[in-house]
Amino acid sequence: MFKDKRPGKWALLGALLLIVLVGLLLFFGMRAQAADQFLPVREIQTPGGITLWIVEDHSLPIIAMDFLFLDSGTALDPDDKQGLARLLSNTMDEGAGELDSQAFQKALSDNSITLMFNAGRDGFGGELKTLTRNSAKAFELLGLAMNAPRFDEEAVSRMRGGNLARIKSSLSEPDWMAARLLNDRAFDNHPYGKNSGGTLSSLGKITAQDLRDFKSRNLTRDRLMIAIVGDVDGKTIGPVIDNIFGKLPAKGPEKSIPDTTIANPGKVYLYEQDIPQTMVEIMLPAFDNKDKDYYAQQILNYIYGGGGFGSRLMEEVREKNGLTYGIYSSMLDLRHGDAMSVSTSTKNGSAKQVLDIIKAEMLRLQNEPVTAKELDNAKSYLIGSMPLSLSSSDQIAGMILSLRARGLPINYLDTLASNIRAVTPEDLQRVAKRILKPEQAVTILVGKPDSIANAEIVKELPNVQ
Amino acid sequence: MLKYIPLIFLSILTISYSAAAQTFGAQEFTLQNGMQVVVIPNHRAPVVTHMVWMKVGAADEKPGLSGMAHYLEHLLFKGTAKQAPGEFSKTVKTLGGNDNAFTSQDYTAFFESIAVENLPKMMEMEADRMTGLNPPEEHFKSEKSVVLEERRQRTDNDPRALFGEQLNSLLYINHPYGIPVIGWMNEIEDYEWADVKKFYDTWYAPNNAVLVVSGDITAEKLKPLAEKYYGAIPKKEVPKRIRPLVPPAPGNTLLTLQDPSIHQSMYHKIFIAPAESRNRSDSLALQVLSDIIDGGSATRLYKSLVVEQKKATSVQFNYNSTALDYGTVTLGGVPASGVSPEELGKLLDAELRKVVEKGVTETEVKEAIQRLTDEAIFARDSVAGPAMIFGAALTTGSSVQDIENWPADIAKVTVERVNEAAKTYLDENNPWVRPPVTGYLLPEEKPAPTPEPAKQEQETPDVQG
Repeated sequence: MFKDKRPGKWALLGALLLIVLVGLLLFFGMRAQAADQFLPVREIQTPGGITLWIVEDHSLPIIAMDFLFLDSGTALDPDDKQGLARLLSNTMDEGAGELDSQAFQKALSDNSITLMFNAGRDGFGGELKTLTRNSAKAFELLGLAMNAPRFDEEAVSRMRGGNLARIKSSLSEPDWMAARLLNDRAFDNHPYGKNSGGTLSSLGKITAQDLRDFKSRNLTRDRLMIAIVGDVDGKTIGPVIDNIFGKLPAKGPEKSIPDTTIANPGKVYLYEQDIPQTMVEIMLPAFDNKDKDYYAQQILNYIYGGGGFGSRLMEEVREKNGLTYGIYSSMLDLRHGDAMSVSTSTKNGSAKQVLDIIKAEMLRLQNEPVTAKELDNAKSYLIGSMPLSLSSSDQIAGMILSLRARGLPINYLDTLASNIRAVTPEDLQRVAKRILKPEQAVTILVGKPDSIANAEIVKELPNVQ
Repeated sequence: MLKYIPLIFLSILTISYSAAAQTFGAQEFTLQNGMQVVVIPNHRAPVVTHMVWMKVGAADEKPGLSGMAHYLEHLLFKGTAKQAPGEFSKTVKTLGGNDNAFTSQDYTAFFESIAVENLPKMMEMEADRMTGLNPPEEHFKSEKSVVLEERRQRTDNDPRALFGEQLNSLLYINHPYGIPVIGWMNEIEDYEWADVKKFYDTWYAPNNAVLVVSGDITAEKLKPLAEKYYGAIPKKEVPKRIRPLVPPAPGNTLLTLQDPSIHQSMYHKIFIAPAESRNRSDSLALQVLSDIIDGGSATRLYKSLVVEQKKATSVQFNYNSTALDYGTVTLGGVPASGVSPEELGKLLDAELRKVVEKGVTETEVKEAIQRLTDEAIFARDSVAGPAMIFGAALTTGSSVQDIENWPADIAKVTVERVNEAAKTYLDENNPWVRPPVTGYLLPEEKPAPTPEPAKQEQETPDVQG
């Protein structure tokens, strides 16, 4: 009943999660309760000098921990060894110390411990989730994986094989193709444009030594951020954390990932596929939380396409014209570049009409101020939906870690409502003029769309073979 | 503000109580009009997930009207006498909540996650659309286009989804589970409003619904609200859900789907199996068996085929038990490089044969029971998750007690029961009801890489029955 893994059910749960996540990623609203902290996050320091953000909550016997090494992710992959950081994330939990892959996995499984590593463009991270009664074992296994991973040939080659099969499977997924092409064109000549999952030829070049070198160079304490939530005691957790991470190198070489903006403005790329529907992906330059218009940008995104039903794009494309099942805009807040993206799919015959609406709605937000009611509705959602993302331990851990990774203050949630409330229709129009510029957008189409002029035909997906 | 301090005490109480029988501490009552109500208190954050589950799904549709239940689900957002089209979701958003709905073969569910103070408004709106559906004609039409786009996006754009749809339709001879929930394209195109209205009037009634509210609420507080909003709806005569049976069908069924966009072949096999509500004892044994065979990378299937024999890059064995009529067991895998899908199919079948003939060990059963009962603890770490579990179970013939007792009942499963279940349901030489359906998803064969003559390319599935 609880282990029901059939795809249908996961799809449902996934949909639920996504709904919560959309709330989580885009907006951090809060309730208007002046004196109280919205979420009791504290910063503590371990005896070894590692700082962590912690939320103690003893309502369930569960501990969730998330951590991240900033600027230590797939953007650092060498060009000819793309997929290196990702393969490292696949193999760190495949045997450590005296335990080979099977023994390590069995120890996790026998103790109902979830341990997963991940590698994204901006960092290398991990997630640990355990019952309190098994927490000592969980921390011990994480410590082993961090300090003494084996990278046995058997495990490395098995994970490599899994990745190769995954790439080949993805080659029949139109949304994967569109994402690959978008990433390549929007981040042309920038490390973000690499294929994080590796290519069919690059994965074979990665050796166990490459994994060891990448780990010792990049998983260093100066890049480390930790969030821990649940049935944990802030007074005693310090030495436990030091045991896991304290033996890592203090510092690694300087990282040289340059800042970037969205490349190929105004261009349209088409990768032709014989399918009934065209996938549409669009990306535009945007800005991050260091900009004074950051909150206005969040609201603008919500009104334009971030909000789902009620957003301008959903109303025009789905509700009025029945041209899609879904259309969304979202903000991409990377450490070295910021963007807004728009994503949808429509039958081949209406791709042009959908592109025209996406563009027209940008211009409408530039040219006409939003109504007071539309702005008020957006604000009440952004502020009121905040508690929805506080209902499970791993969700909270992920959220506070992301705040920290983005350089936001620990009381960010407490000040957000007043920052959101201060935004005016004029602010939104100014931001629309800054970012909702069709001429700045790079557009990707995958499918067989009718009557698209000026599209550059892409013959082969970049960085896959 | 989260209610931390009181919760510390509460959690001590619930933990000792839960050891007795209660997993979620759910409370249950029935309104006078027959509407079943379940409350799952969870006071961690001041939010609730409010769900209305109708005991009607795709399997209750009339022949020729496939997808009607799902289409009706869409139309529930298109207005009543009191609500304008689209107003439902916009109101939820403005109050800081998220809403959505989903349809399966056996149920249709509508939900909102929102701050607890807005719960009465959600109940008022949800009760309104249980009886007063009245979408304007232009919305009826445009929503049909939306559903057609949904079908293109989910299924027609993806050969793997088409493969799954075909496999399912071959398994369920004479039973509506063989018809996809979203419906067949040409039948969706032909819906008439009168047919939808009739379906709605037939099935949407309080005595055919389950209300599930999870989160910062108790039965005591919910009851007057439920009586006020839902209690006012008159009950009505609802047809019995009499479904056809899958007849004994000797003869093996093989599906081969070749598609030029497939680059990675796959093997898949589906057995028909008992639903939990039809045979709980056998179902619990199969749930334990499923976890023994594929409960992670330290269990049988992965260990044997991926780690030791290196014939697959991924494998799958899954028992889906949540359904009104029949469950399914699926067995599948992706072959390793240089291994044909047929060879992998034989090896996977042999692995299952070994389980049927030799059985599993007592240690395996013990370890699986530990993992499964721990899952039940993790399941409490969510607001929406438990509401999903209860709603799906209660609309498919299980009871509140079945869920609350699940960990205790799983713990009683013996190795003998597991081995008997394997023999009863997974022996291809002596199948239960009918033999499993076997499927291969294959790349299109390239013309003549060797002197052997090129095969005829096939666009349509090749079915041998």
